[in-house]
Amino acid sequence: MGVYIKSSAQISIQNPLCNDWAVSPIIYREPYARAVECDYKKYINPIAARRMGKILKRAIAVSSSALSICGAAVPDAIITGTGLGCIENTEKFLSAMTMEGEEFLQPAYFINSTHNTISSQIAIFLKCHGYNNTFVQRGISFESALLDALMLFETGTVNTALVEGHDEMTQGYFKLLDKLDYWRKEADGKGAVAGETAVGFFLSKEEDTVKIEGTEILHTPSMDDMSRSLLKMCSDAGISLKDIDAVMVGANTDEANDAVYEAFSETLFHGVPCLWWKHIFGESFTSAAFGMYVADYILRNRVVPSAMVWKNSVKSAEQIRKILIYNHFNNKEHSLILLSRW
Amino acid sequence: MTICVTGIGIISSIGVGRQATLDSLLTGRCNIAPIAHFKTIHSDLVSAEVVQSNEQLIELLGGGLKEPLTRTALLGMVALDQAYKEARVEEQRPQRVAFVSGTTVGGMDKSEQFYLDFLNNDSKNQYIASHDCGRCSEMIADYCGHFDIITTISTACSSAANAVIFGANLLKTGRTDMAIVGGSECITKFHLNGFNTLRILDKEPCRPFDASRAGLNLGEGAAYLVLESEASALKRGVEPLCKLSGYANFCDAHHQTASSEDGEGAFLAMSGALQNSGLQPEDIDYINAHGTGTVNNDLSEGIAISRLFSKRGIPPVSSTKSFTGHTTSASGSIEAVISILSIQHGFIPANLRFRNKIEELSFVPSSDIGLKVDVNNVLTNSFGFGGNDTTLIFSKYKKE
Repeated sequence: MGVYIKSSAQISIQNPLCNDWAVSPIIYREPYARAVECDYKKYINPIAARRMGKILKRAIAVSSSALSICGAAVPDAIITGTGLGCIENTEKFLSAMTMEGEEFLQPAYFINSTHNTISSQIAIFLKCHGYNNTFVQRGISFESALLDALMLFETGTVNTALVEGHDEMTQGYFKLLDKLDYWRKEADGKGAVAGETAVGFFLSKEEDTVKIEGTEILHTPSMDDMSRSLLKMCSDAGISLKDIDAVMVGANTDEANDAVYEAFSETLFHGVPCLWWKHIFGESFTSAAFGMYVADYILRNRVVPSAMVWKNSVKSAEQIRKILIYNHFNNKEHSLILLSRW
Repeated sequence: MTICVTGIGIISSIGVGRQATLDSLLTGRCNIAPIAHFKTIHSDLVSAEVVQSNEQLIELLGGGLKEPLTRTALLGMVALDQAYKEARVEEQRPQRVAFVSGTTVGGMDKSEQFYLDFLNNDSKNQYIASHDCGRCSEMIADYCGHFDIITTISTACSSAANAVIFGANLLKTGRTDMAIVGGSECITKFHLNGFNTLRILDKEPCRPFDASRAGLNLGEGAAYLVLESEASALKRGVEPLCKLSGYANFCDAHHQTASSEDGEGAFLAMSGALQNSGLQPEDIDYINAHGTGTVNNDLSEGIAISRLFSKRGIPPVSSTKSFTGHTTSASGSIEAVISILSIQHGFIPANLRFRNKIEELSFVPSSDIGLKVDVNNVLTNSFGFGGNDTTLIFSKYKKE
């Protein structure tokens, strides 16, 4: 049995619901930018939309869009990864409680503050009674959701699934994370650019161009653990390590972050083309969803946009048939996703 | 694959550890009182707090822990440590071990305390990094030992039950040899006020499945279950406490904070779990209901129970939230542990403070304290915001 990507859709700091990023990406000089919104009227009735935060509107739009691309109506499961959940509403409720006290609070911000509001609202919108879950494991939230979906396919629980990554970045939370040195510093121009994530994938057992060979999440692995995990994933896919044509890494120009990818690629993939995506889509807890989005685009369209090459040039996009996506967070949580052109 | 539970750990307002919890359940002792651990204007809303302060929890853990610590992480550490030791994970370590935890508040207890410091000065920045839910699981896991996989689930009040499903699937698909699963949650001012704006908090001790029910009492705590295959337990020489025989998650897809009138999501979850276990409705000896005590939940859940079970007679039903309060993201595993205790010790945990039947329902909850019954199969429900409905079934372990 295989699991295939039938369709995908994204809203980000690049142009929404299209692949303009591949030809003419928007380049950001400042480390803080919010997503480019789409016309939500196409997807949500404006009265309902008024009550929804940005993260929910984006979720409905990418879900509808991914489903309509492949002509599907309702998935068997809806699984979301989100590092921070509906942080805008969380901040609003917290701020009102702190500044104005406990007397005058309204329920709306609270109702739409829980992390699983996203998956639930998609389910209510699609009238989907199927399996519904939400993963919140920092930088590997999306990969946890993907792993959950693959296990449902393997155990025969579902035939299709909508798997998504969602995170919004408010000005307030950006500033808080800046105190922890998350973002690019003006002084040396190094460090992550913040992004916002809204990506949806419709996955199915039905064959398609791009197959998900496997995914792994690992907690504080050694290089040996990484390599063992990778070899197991390759052997499950019936390939060897040298069949992997390109590695997509979560590099973001932060030195400590990128050193992990340097070590990994030098040790296990010497000379193999390495690609990246976070300089285009920005960093967020669920940015790995863009890693899979870009890898799927490359395999499907047999083209490697030049901006995506991190090191070791690509000789022929045509010959890239297998891409490994490697992402980590704080060098604590790590993830691997293996895609192949089928 | 037969999935066994080989260790449990629990902390809640009715005690630390399995024995204290069992004693409270068998004697009808609960601790529902005004909030003591933080300042709030809602002192009239009673809650089920864990008695120990953060300092006392650190003491329980042997001291020497470094800040930043959050209460959800501390509660989780206490429960995980018990489960870890009972299953002798350290001495007989399987190859790959996962930790899957449910929480929704994460580090909110500190964020709400230090929010102004976050905004105005740099004195409490270390708690910015402990805000998100995933960090909470990292803290709990790293306190106890080495885990190969950790992840966190947040589906509000069904989080811990969904962690059980994810862990079971890790075992079934051969990804890990053991999965320690459950959830942890402390009471915060944030969700106390949130639930209060929804007007679903009772000022009196809650009365699940009673005609006069008027809302829930928030509780707090943590519980974890060690899951492994029967083969793994036998190989490690650890006696299974019971089996996890079935589970399912479905979505009510009705409303963000209310359950549907016909309890469709709950019905699908219970039916799905029965199907997954291969058991029939008449095989269930006890239903540990979600039973929050809100007007909406208990009616909707009660209707779903009637739809599924009334043909062959509804088994004893109770909501142990009448003991522990609603421990939100931890409730799924706290009630799983209570269900396991009911199998091990052969009793039906009581539904406290029941007086009058809900008119629309055909059954009343089991209100006798310490009712002795042979319990082979228990079905336990956990329903979260957004109609996230999860059912787990635990069964007596018999060597095959």
